[in-house]
Amino acid sequence: MSDWRRRQSRAAVWFLAPAGILLAVFVVWPLARSLWWSFHYADLLAPDGQPWAGGSHYSDLLRDPRFRRAFANTALFAVLVVPLQTTLAFFLALWVNRPEPAWRWLRVVFFLPTIVAMPVLAILWTMLYQPAQGDETGLINAMLGIVGVPAQAWLRDPLLALPAIAFMSIWQGTGLQMMVFLAGLQNVPRETLEAARVDGAGAWQRTRHVVVPAMRNSIVFVVTVTTILAFRLFVQPYLMTRGGPGNSTVSLVQTIYETTFLAQDLGRACAAAFLFLLLVGGLALVQRRLLREERA
Amino acid sequence: MSLRVLRWTAAALVAAVFLAPLLWMFAGSFRETSALFRGGPWSWIGGDGWTWDNYGEAWRRGALGRASLNTLLQVAVIGGGGLFVNSMAAFAFARMRFAGREALFAAVVVFVILPVEVLAVPLFFTARDLGLTGGYTSAMAGLTLPFLAKAFNIYLLRQHFMALPTALEEAAVIDGAGAWRVFWNIALPAVRPALATVVLLDVLTHWSDFLWPLLVATREETRTVQIGLANLFTQPPVDWGAILACAVMATLPVLLSFRLLQRHLVLTDTGAGIK
Repeated sequence: MSDWRRRQSRAAVWFLAPAGILLAVFVVWPLARSLWWSFHYADLLAPDGQPWAGGSHYSDLLRDPRFRRAFANTALFAVLVVPLQTTLAFFLALWVNRPEPAWRWLRVVFFLPTIVAMPVLAILWTMLYQPAQGDETGLINAMLGIVGVPAQAWLRDPLLALPAIAFMSIWQGTGLQMMVFLAGLQNVPRETLEAARVDGAGAWQRTRHVVVPAMRNSIVFVVTVTTILAFRLFVQPYLMTRGGPGNSTVSLVQTIYETTFLAQDLGRACAAAFLFLLLVGGLALVQRRLLREERA
Repeated sequence: MSLRVLRWTAAALVAAVFLAPLLWMFAGSFRETSALFRGGPWSWIGGDGWTWDNYGEAWRRGALGRASLNTLLQVAVIGGGGLFVNSMAAFAFARMRFAGREALFAAVVVFVILPVEVLAVPLFFTARDLGLTGGYTSAMAGLTLPFLAKAFNIYLLRQHFMALPTALEEAAVIDGAGAWRVFWNIALPAVRPALATVVLLDVLTHWSDFLWPLLVATREETRTVQIGLANLFTQPPVDWGAILACAVMATLPVLLSFRLLQRHLVLTDTGAGIK
């Protein structure tokens, strides 16, 4: 046994080497280089050996209206998606947490959109949101027509485009969160739940005082992950609206992409990426703090 | 009794909201483009204008044969190779003692929240410098190699390895098994559900990859399914019927792999484990 323990530290090197080398080459090195470029006038064609730019890329970005709009849009998207999607997923999980086969099917139905690729769904929903033109219209306008809601331009309306993208994203992501919550529901102590019922606590009180505390970890996990995913918004607006109409749906990731490949301003793009990373990392930390302190 | 009816009606309604877009996609893939946006809300179920042609058109214009092979290869290499690389690292973090273990693992945890988008641009240059762009073999390596090692997967697998009882491992060591035998013959089979989860998550993630293939797989022969689909959508003339057919064909393989791996899916530790 002691022989095994002694040999471990040598074996560990071999076990860690493949992942370690890959992470060093494809994560650590690009990150370090990108941090370097963010302080230089690096451009796409000749990234290295360019003059020092100091913090000018960072300060330029913070003054750039399109970048600021992208930040506002992405934040608004997160504000719409995170609470709505999490709440919806939570109640769906409570609702379908029954053993009969019919509910298992319902779970599969809710989960289905999450396994379809986002580019597929972005294109599909562009068609569903199709505005009315002559006697043609998308399914959503047609459905709303039944209840007397007039046809909307959806993705072509600067006010509705981002909420429309948020709605489709909620529809897509709810199922996965629901599965995490369903797993978390296994941690709810049945005896406590039963005792609360006997003491006359209603469904709402049982949920509020027994289920929610028991599912803390799942809730923290879901909120954190959803926030990060929401800030990574790219595929939907890129394919559905190209950031338009106007700048009404341009996202942070899209500005990074455009700064690199359209403006070919690598230094500035890397600065944007680091601002983005700071934001996402900071948010994750803040959420962790807030959600943890609530417990005490 | 009426409560029961109410509950089932509600269930049916909510289920319809979740299913309708996907059903419309499927039904629409068999409709002539001219019939897709015409008529009332129920016209997509009945009426005329049914056709098979969209599939042929989508297959041809999206170069789907090649694109599907590319994507299958990409997902298989990442899923398989990644499983190997990540489970080895996870095993070391969970079951071995060595200097600097905590510090190294803390670094891995930091990478978990690192968004791919931040990395995409500098990673593109690293891939180019290593010759992982351009020709077919290079681009396929570029599509896969950077995503083999994945912090999240190491993290998740470590949770499962840690939960294994030491007794199993001790018995094998007493019988003379080395680290590799313990890992390969004992630990890996014991965490099979977690392995299936990791593979499924990899398949789902990389099947829908968009930004990275957009950067490295730019040639026609290296195109993936999602890029082929997006090209149908962005390059005129836009043939909506063919786009839907392409969307359906791009979805079937993930549905299939989900069906195959679904029984093993465990999200418990992802939910309860992250601290």
